[in-house]
Amino acid sequence: MNLRDILNEDIIDLEVEGKTKDEVLRYMAKGLLDNGYIEDVDQFVKDIYVREAEGPTGMGSHISIPHGKSESVKKIGIAIGKTVNDIPWESGMSDTGFQDTRLIFLFCVSADNEFATNHMLLLSELAGKLGNDARVARLSEAATKEEVISLILCDESELEGTAVTETEEIVDLDIDF
Amino acid sequence: MKIVAVTACTAGIAHTYIVAEKIQNAAVEAGHSCKVETQGTIGVQNELTTQEIAEADVVIYAHDIAVRGQERFAGKKIVDIPISVAMKNPKSLIATIEKKLGK
Repeated sequence: MNLRDILNEDIIDLEVEGKTKDEVLRYMAKGLLDNGYIEDVDQFVKDIYVREAEGPTGMGSHISIPHGKSESVKKIGIAIGKTVNDIPWESGMSDTGFQDTRLIFLFCVSADNEFATNHMLLLSELAGKLGNDARVARLSEAATKEEVISLILCDESELEGTAVTETEEIVDLDIDF
Repeated sequence: MKIVAVTACTAGIAHTYIVAEKIQNAAVEAGHSCKVETQGTIGVQNELTTQEIAEADVVIYAHDIAVRGQERFAGKKIVDIPISVAMKNPKSLIATIEKKLGK
């Protein structure tokens, strides 16, 4: 198995409807239900909020990474949704504590840590790829499902030359040894 | 300089790995060598060796839950920060360490 195998076009939706975080989460959860990933939308969404309560999942660049670790999950995967509207989302990246989200990576993970560990390994690899600023910048502009998939899979070298709009301002951090 | 880091977030699904990548990229971009151990739901990956720890100039803990195996880093210079700081300011993190260590 490789990374491509956990990416499924059927749970990528580039026209996610809804005006609020709750509406888009439910919309995307419904997609997971329809494709046999979860058993119950309400339970899954409830479990997403358990994680949301622990800290913001907005990661800047208009991207959010909510995750549902839930007993309702039958199949591990990642739903990817581009929203029709800007969705206000809690974020540690902005001073206001909120960002406008346009792209959502919804991690669909079993509550059982021993379940499908090979899938979990791939999911962790995929998460790592979102740590690359250039990749994230390109993903937020992606127009097709194929483009989303190829941008996730491509090597860092293929992303060279990408203009990253949200650059980090270098500041002195209050750290000690 | 040689940097080693450990990342561990609450759920151990996403931030652990994203922040690992961010620290790695920021360190390499600034001309340092770096290895990041992830402690997530699936356990420890990219585990730091005794030699890597011995050779490291600095250790970064970017975490929301307790870092496992802290005894391995006894006597090292350790920067202890929440995941959110490394998520938001990876480059500043490296730059501040450079400044404070004079390297």
